[in-house]
Amino acid sequence: MFLKKSPWIIHYDGSSCNGCDIEVLACLTPLFDVERFGIINTGNPKHADIFLITGSVNEQNKEIIQNIYCQMPDPKVVVAIGICACSGGIFAECYNVLGGVAKVIPVDVFVPGCAARPESIIDGVVKGLAVLEEKGKKFKNMKKGLATLSIDPAQIQDSAEILALQKAAYQSEAELYNDFSLSPLNQSLEEIKADFKSKIFLKAVLNKVIVGSVRAYQEKETCHIGRLIVHPLYQNWGIGTKLLYAIEARFPNAVRYESFTGHKSKRTLYFGRKRGYRECRREKVSLKRERVFFEKTREGKAR
Amino acid sequence: MHLFDVRGNFHFCLMKTLYLFILYLIGAPLVGAWLAGWDRRLSARLQSRVGPPILQPVYDVLKLTQKENMVVRRSQNFYIAYYLIFVIFTGALFFTGQDMLLIIFSLMLASVFFVLAGFKASSPYSFIGAQRELVQIMAYEPAVIFAAIGMYMVTGTFEVSKLAQTNHWLILSLPGIFFAYLFILAMKLRKSPFDISTSHHGHQEVVKGITTEFSGKALAMIEVAHWYETTFILGIVYLFFAKSVVAGLSAALAAYVFMVFVDNAFARVKWPLALASSWIVAFLCGAGNMIWLFFTRH
Amino acid sequence: MDTTFIPVSLVIVPAIAAFLLLIFRGSKAKNFIVISASALIALGSLVLFFLNNMEGLIRFKLDIPGVSAGMLGIEIFMALFIIFIALRNGKSLVALLALIQVCLLTGFELRYGHALIVANDVFIDTFSVIMALIIGVIGTLIAVYSLGYMRSFHRLHAGEFPDRQPMFFFIIFVFLAAMFGIVFSNNLLWLYFFWEITTLSSFLLIGYKGNAESAQNAFRALLYNLIGGLFFAVAIVWMHFFAGTIEMDKLMVMHKAVVMFPVMLLCFAGLTKSAQLPFSSWLVGAMVAPSPVSALLHSSTMVKAGVYLIVRFAGVLEGTVVGLMIALVGGITFLLTTFIAVSQSDAKKVLAYSTIANLGLIVMCAGIGTYQAVWAAILLIIFHAVAKGLLFLCVGVIEHKLHSRDIEDMTGLIIKMPKMSIMLQVGMAGMFLAPFGMLISKWAVLRALVDYNPLLTIFLVFGSSATLFFWVKWMGQLLCVLKEEEDDETGISRAEWMPLTTLTIFTVGVCAFFPLIAKTMIEPFIRQMYNATVTMGQGNIMIMLIMLAMVMLFPLSFFYYGKKVKVVDAYLSGANTAIGTSFTNSLGGATPMEMKNYYLKRYFQEEKLLRIGVAVCIFLMCAATFIFVS
Repeated sequence: MFLKKSPWIIHYDGSSCNGCDIEVLACLTPLFDVERFGIINTGNPKHADIFLITGSVNEQNKEIIQNIYCQMPDPKVVVAIGICACSGGIFAECYNVLGGVAKVIPVDVFVPGCAARPESIIDGVVKGLAVLEEKGKKFKNMKKGLATLSIDPAQIQDSAEILALQKAAYQSEAELYNDFSLSPLNQSLEEIKADFKSKIFLKAVLNKVIVGSVRAYQEKETCHIGRLIVHPLYQNWGIGTKLLYAIEARFPNAVRYESFTGHKSKRTLYFGRKRGYRECRREKVSLKRERVFFEKTREGKAR
Repeated sequence: MHLFDVRGNFHFCLMKTLYLFILYLIGAPLVGAWLAGWDRRLSARLQSRVGPPILQPVYDVLKLTQKENMVVRRSQNFYIAYYLIFVIFTGALFFTGQDMLLIIFSLMLASVFFVLAGFKASSPYSFIGAQRELVQIMAYEPAVIFAAIGMYMVTGTFEVSKLAQTNHWLILSLPGIFFAYLFILAMKLRKSPFDISTSHHGHQEVVKGITTEFSGKALAMIEVAHWYETTFILGIVYLFFAKSVVAGLSAALAAYVFMVFVDNAFARVKWPLALASSWIVAFLCGAGNMIWLFFTRH
Repeated sequence: MDTTFIPVSLVIVPAIAAFLLLIFRGSKAKNFIVISASALIALGSLVLFFLNNMEGLIRFKLDIPGVSAGMLGIEIFMALFIIFIALRNGKSLVALLALIQVCLLTGFELRYGHALIVANDVFIDTFSVIMALIIGVIGTLIAVYSLGYMRSFHRLHAGEFPDRQPMFFFIIFVFLAAMFGIVFSNNLLWLYFFWEITTLSSFLLIGYKGNAESAQNAFRALLYNLIGGLFFAVAIVWMHFFAGTIEMDKLMVMHKAVVMFPVMLLCFAGLTKSAQLPFSSWLVGAMVAPSPVSALLHSSTMVKAGVYLIVRFAGVLEGTVVGLMIALVGGITFLLTTFIAVSQSDAKKVLAYSTIANLGLIVMCAGIGTYQAVWAAILLIIFHAVAKGLLFLCVGVIEHKLHSRDIEDMTGLIIKMPKMSIMLQVGMAGMFLAPFGMLISKWAVLRALVDYNPLLTIFLVFGSSATLFFWVKWMGQLLCVLKEEEDDETGISRAEWMPLTTLTIFTVGVCAFFPLIAKTMIEPFIRQMYNATVTMGQGNIMIMLIMLAMVMLFPLSFFYYGKKVKVVDAYLSGANTAIGTSFTNSLGGATPMEMKNYYLKRYFQEEKLLRIGVAVCIFLMCAATFIFVS
């Protein structure tokens, strides 16, 4: 693994006194020379492996931190530097301050200090390297571990995880229609728990993490399949197909299977066609969006 | 050399070309990476730092291959793949001794793919980077073509294989053209006064310029392409001293070291100055040298 | 087969079609006539190509009584028409020029017409055949395209411009006939006659919209072309008195000193037709015309008539001061108009300036006149006609779809109109990129220049680096996507798709079959003219073909399209809003991101560069004249 031999960093300074900020930059100077370890300050999340944050999180920079985090390619590590980044520090009580970085994104290493000394920052980064290495292995195993993918019925205690997954998966749909009022995005935990009573849920589990899910119920002869979701990172790896076939198999006495998607979701429509589904009707749900229903009979042929 | 030699000895020439190609394919990135490693070490020493290990560029690239494939537009990485392929192809034409003009055109094709990748990534930073890269291409192209024409005027051939075996000291006839070429070397090596499109040193106004939106394998490909390009660019420096192998190699190395010094000694300039200065130098020194050659020989 | 049949019918068929189009005005009849006439013409030019291959040079005298008288009659009629329309619009200079010309030539023909002895009226060698193929194939494709284009043009501009489609198609086909006439004529009086027809058609088509702007530009085009016509007329009269002949094939082989002056005048006429620098502004103005007109007259064929004439006399120009001056005019035109193209954002203006630039390159080659240069010039003519025709047609369709032809408005065209933008990109690649046509020709030009006088390469070197700049930034603008949009290529008729697809295939095809084209079409001409041939080296051609194959594999990447990647928003310093393409501004609102190209307007100023160019080129032309007179 070469991750720890060339950790590239991106540095963001939240609301702080800038003391830690200056100390981070001091690490790059000839005295501490972190480039010895291959560390480069890239200033670009897309190139970075380690996210260094100094200062606390407030209402305004919350989204920026999240954005930068989302735009870093996996595997990645977050290091919170200084007491403000760890817990909010002296700013913790301010009306606009949310607290430490961990409030908005997962943090792997906390470096205390006010201001944190360059030595401890370097220590923190080195600790981060170990985490990075571990995450890298996980990331690799996830790719490899597709063979260990299992599809099981989901239980009601999985509902929180499935809901989070659902929101991640429907993000791109919402962007496609520029409509963030999509019901999957706004479903509450209670609602999804209620769903468990009326529908059968399946989950795809990879390394103990749920990466996909689908739900369905039968009404007379028709099995209604809905919310076939796969985590964006694992799309195109055949997980969706496996889930679809598994849920169809759960309803052996249904004569036809029905599902729907939005009219602009070309990839989903293509996916359905490839698996024997045919478009049967359209329904307007809002000005922006049209639902396309598609169906399949048991013999695998469209009527 | 042509694929066919004078006696139509196709097979022999093809085999020789093939060996050269394979040697280049493996050797060029190694040389490029090694030079890049020394570049970082030397820069660090100039700033009284220790600097990273020599193999650091290799570690960087290997790490990048282990990262996630992240894009803004789905097709952006193909352009990078084509950039790499055509840079390799350009170098291959050069090291197997083909026509110099053809090599330059192939290099342009590679650069165009790189620029298009920047446009395709659809981000403001890569867009500005792409525009600036275009300005750079426009700025350095005359000097490169003048180098080819100047060599032709002295030796009567565009073929690199013959240029490499020439018994002229090309540098003595082409000092102006060599200077013009050295001037734009900073653009091709992405070094400081003219590093306007990728900004290799972080935290600057265009973030990482044209490469901003590329991560993981695509970024690794850009790095590898840069290694290939470095060897090819220095190969042209070699041709100016091609009469003696030792002189050629040491000139190429000296040119690289010189560029590292320049990189550390200069601040970045704005693109209008980059364009204007390199065109003026190309015109005065490059074209001037040609005019001088033309009239002394007629 | 009688060799006279095909060339004559190539002139007659479009002329007949033109009159039929004037008579039958129904839309079905129009479609039928245009398509069948186009097919006939294209077929005819192909047959001519094979005929020429079998029989070699074709020349004959057309012994039909009254031809000359008829031509004179039409010429006088055209002149009267021009004078009338010019006086009505208060353009007295235009009227004066037309009057001088018609008096000069009518007087000449009436006084000396009977004494003229012309051995061959028609002269067809491989070069004529190449031109005929361009006119016959690309020209007719554009005519078919106009069917669809004009329909949607009038639908979009209903009530804005009068619908004069019968007149439009009439002129298009008359023009095609005249173009064939130009490339087949050996008798310079005939050539002049056809030349004037193209001038008039160009004038009428530029003014097609009938508004003030187009009238203004049409008269400018007319004025400059009449100046060229005057050069031409003087050249003919001069030739008769001092060289004793008005036959082109004889002029080409006569002693240089005798024919230098008339040839120079003919070259000046060619410069006006090809919109070279002192005269270039008419071609830019001509862009007000509908796109097929720009494609047909102002890039693929008519402006090529100018360079055709100059290339014809390349042998005479070789190694002379006049030749050098013409070459310099071409070189300066290439350099400066390329620079101007960098600063333009109007797509058609970019194409216009690039056309002028490439014609400049051809003129430069012709002025040098060595066999390599002429070889390169013909290559340029072929490749340019195909690629530029395609580009103009694409821009025409895009303009109708986007209601704008500004390059900045074409952002994201790759998802809005995927097929169209791919064609556009093929056309652009054909104009400057490595394994494609124009670059092969530029390579040939470079080699020709290096062997002749390396100093002339300075123009080419600086010019072609600017060429790369403006094409790539346009290409990039098409690829760059700012927001998700649905593709919408509806409403483009079959009559438009067919020529577009064909020309796209041609653009790639002429590169793939370039060695064959060079061997069968260009080499015979060069050998006949100079007794020498150009070789590019088999190895080099092979490398070019490998490169082409590699580039052509690019579409294969779509099979791998977007697999196993994670799509995230562009980096906007972390300030992306929920819609990834806009960012949170300082007021907390959302601002969509926007990207605009560099135009370097401060450095490449249109007016300033034009002023320099016009001054220098007028100086060069005067110098050429002065050197000759003294």
